[in-house]
Amino acid sequence: MNRFLTCSFFLLLFFASCGTYRYPNASGIRESTAQELNNYYIDTTQTFVYRAKLHAFKKDMNGSLMIKTLGRNEHRIALVSDFGQTLFDVSLSPDGYELHYAMHDLNKRRVVREIVHIFRTMTAQRHATSAVMFANQQHYYPVYVLDDCYYVIKERKVERIQQAKGAKEYLAIVYQEWNAEDIPTSIAIEHKKYPITIDLALDVNQSIL
Amino acid sequence: MNDKLLYLLFFLMPYCGWAQTREMTANEQARFQKSLQQLVEIKTVSADFVQYKHLSFMKKPVESTGKLYVKHPDKLSWAYTAPFQYKMVFKDNKIYIDDQGKKQTITIGNSKQFEKISTLISSSLRGGKYDEKEFAVSYLKQGNADMVRLIPKLAGAKKYIKEIVLLFSPTDKHVEEVKLVEPSNDYTRFVIKNRKVNTTIDESIFNL
Repeated sequence: MNRFLTCSFFLLLFFASCGTYRYPNASGIRESTAQELNNYYIDTTQTFVYRAKLHAFKKDMNGSLMIKTLGRNEHRIALVSDFGQTLFDVSLSPDGYELHYAMHDLNKRRVVREIVHIFRTMTAQRHATSAVMFANQQHYYPVYVLDDCYYVIKERKVERIQQAKGAKEYLAIVYQEWNAEDIPTSIAIEHKKYPITIDLALDVNQSIL
Repeated sequence: MNDKLLYLLFFLMPYCGWAQTREMTANEQARFQKSLQQLVEIKTVSADFVQYKHLSFMKKPVESTGKLYVKHPDKLSWAYTAPFQYKMVFKDNKIYIDDQGKKQTITIGNSKQFEKISTLISSSLRGGKYDEKEFAVSYLKQGNADMVRLIPKLAGAKKYIKEIVLLFSPTDKHVEEVKLVEPSNDYTRFVIKNRKVNTTIDESIFNL
């Protein structure tokens, strides 16, 4: 009996941890015509400077986030503290990344990988051919699915990217406001696994738009 | 053709000369150190600053401006006013921060880096001596201006700073520029303007 209970417990644990994420109120996934997603950072003539407020592991930090588009899905991204110290400077490409600099305390493989992951999700342009079905379709905005990311579209713009890993939500990027040229002026990033939030506000005067 | 090139170089030489940097001679170094001694009389400094952050991939630097106040022996207020509001006060071995109304206090013991920067800024503005145990110090001339280059010797500081360059005004011998170069060669340049010396600074400046 005890052996049976132990086996059941581990099987339950196994199935629970291998569950798949289900988008709220979704009734399934359907095929859709190819949809271009996240066209915010594709112009190589633009450089974005965002005022960044970072809260990570109970510590606050303010600074500036710079994003420069180098090519198709190639971006150079750097975070600088208010005092001018570079915290990280990394080039992202579809196949990988090149770390130009990371401050000593951040220069750890896992931290760098997570930084790359967050900002790649935020900046990468993607194409989806699947969308979420809802029981009451008129009630919801279109949600496109690509790998483990859900792209919520409002007024033809990506309003939110929700990424899931396993059965749980992993990362949420919310584009809150845009200017007249549809450039995101306010972005909220929340990591669902680690206690990290990043609030970004576009600094129009320092950006080259 | 070669003659034309030589003429061109000859005429351009005087315009390039201002940017050239060379080691001070022994006499120049003695004069410079004497001029620093006058600054020791300084009890307070208030000034505006412009901070330029240069990154290799950015066409123009990221710019911010603010105000700084130094009161001998150990008070420093460093406040950004544009494009954001952020104030740091260094006193009583603590750093007090006001981030648009959100206040916090850090014990300097937990932030040695800040302590070094605060000490360096305060002592540079007052003509203090450079700690040769911590830095390899070079005395240089850039045109008419005196320049001091500090290269950290200690491994802890080397991780964050490759070198610090202080540029002194050729007229009144006060620090007018501080450049912090990072190990990646990206750098931050602080330009100090509208300096006022030994004026009364209200104590409330250092209260947060």
